[in-house]
Amino acid sequence: MTHPTTFGELLEQHEREIFAYALRLTGDRDEADDVYQDTFLAAFRAWPPPRRGTERAWLYKIATNKAIDRGRRAKRFVRLGDLPLAAPERDGVSLADLATAVRTLPTGQRAAFVLRKVQGLSYAEVSHALECSEEAARSRVAEAMKKVKEAMR
Amino acid sequence: MSELGPVVADARERLMARARREGLGTVGYRVVESPLGPLWVAVGPRGVLNIHYGAEPSALELRRIVRAYGPGVLPDTRRVDDVARELDQYFSGKRREFDVAIDLSPLTPFQRKVLAVTARVPYGELITYAKVAHNTGNDKAYRAAAGAIGDNPIPIVVPCHRVVASDGTLGGYAGGLDAKRHLLKLERGADVPRGGWPPAHLSRS
Repeated sequence: MTHPTTFGELLEQHEREIFAYALRLTGDRDEADDVYQDTFLAAFRAWPPPRRGTERAWLYKIATNKAIDRGRRAKRFVRLGDLPLAAPERDGVSLADLATAVRTLPTGQRAAFVLRKVQGLSYAEVSHALECSEEAARSRVAEAMKKVKEAMR
Repeated sequence: MSELGPVVADARERLMARARREGLGTVGYRVVESPLGPLWVAVGPRGVLNIHYGAEPSALELRRIVRAYGPGVLPDTRRVDDVARELDQYFSGKRREFDVAIDLSPLTPFQRKVLAVTARVPYGELITYAKVAHNTGNDKAYRAAAGAIGDNPIPIVVPCHRVVASDGTLGGYAGGLDAKRHLLKLERGADVPRGGWPPAHLSRS
């Protein structure tokens, strides 16, 4: 993947996965649309990306913060109606796993779980996106996995 | 995830509208289909900036656009609609001149001068690289003029396909010589002769 030199390249390279991520975090199409809009507008305003090669993690970080901000403002539980839209394409995590995860996990763990297990980010990228250490990212994902497994029993 | 495509496309439309309102999108682009294959077309605040043969932009042109207008280069169907319609009319033989504004400001003064001369060559007529150099006021600069014509960022609309070598052969073309033949046949109503045109066919103006 080339380093984007324009907003358009950044958008075309990452918009699908960012929208899918927003949908997996919020479980609702309209909310995901808002997070997508907020994320890319914020990225355009903050251009250029902080470091070459970290554009993807940078976008995930913005998207995570935007989703959390919107969740706080809305002060309500996520809806799950549109989640099938974001069904993973090729990994081993089923929709049932995802729905369970969204339903049971606190925000930080939910974001770490989706970033690592569904979006396929490395732990380094997860830690960048969530602004935590790699160790903390691993621990959040492990904790989330434990809860998902328990919820599925 | 087959349903996600249209949802993201809708979201992108709204994003583009917001980016336009906020002045974040300075240049819009999209791929326009043509009988010569896909064309990557970019339109800025002053007019058409680039028509590139292919579905992807040229890295050189993109750098030139970013230098002139910043990184706000965004996929934007609406901004490209006018030139897309005129290109369609041109390829179907219904248009002989383009009305859309063009923007050559990212180029050097010499390139702009050469392309301004090229832009005045009428539909269906031919001119030589040497004659273009002459009309820019510098007979000796014909190699440099040929270079500027070869780098024309807005082919078809700035009709560099009407510029040929002094012996009547085609010379070069960024879209390939088949594309040049296609355009000249469209405009002149006849195939390009083997070995080019006799010099008498070339414009003296």
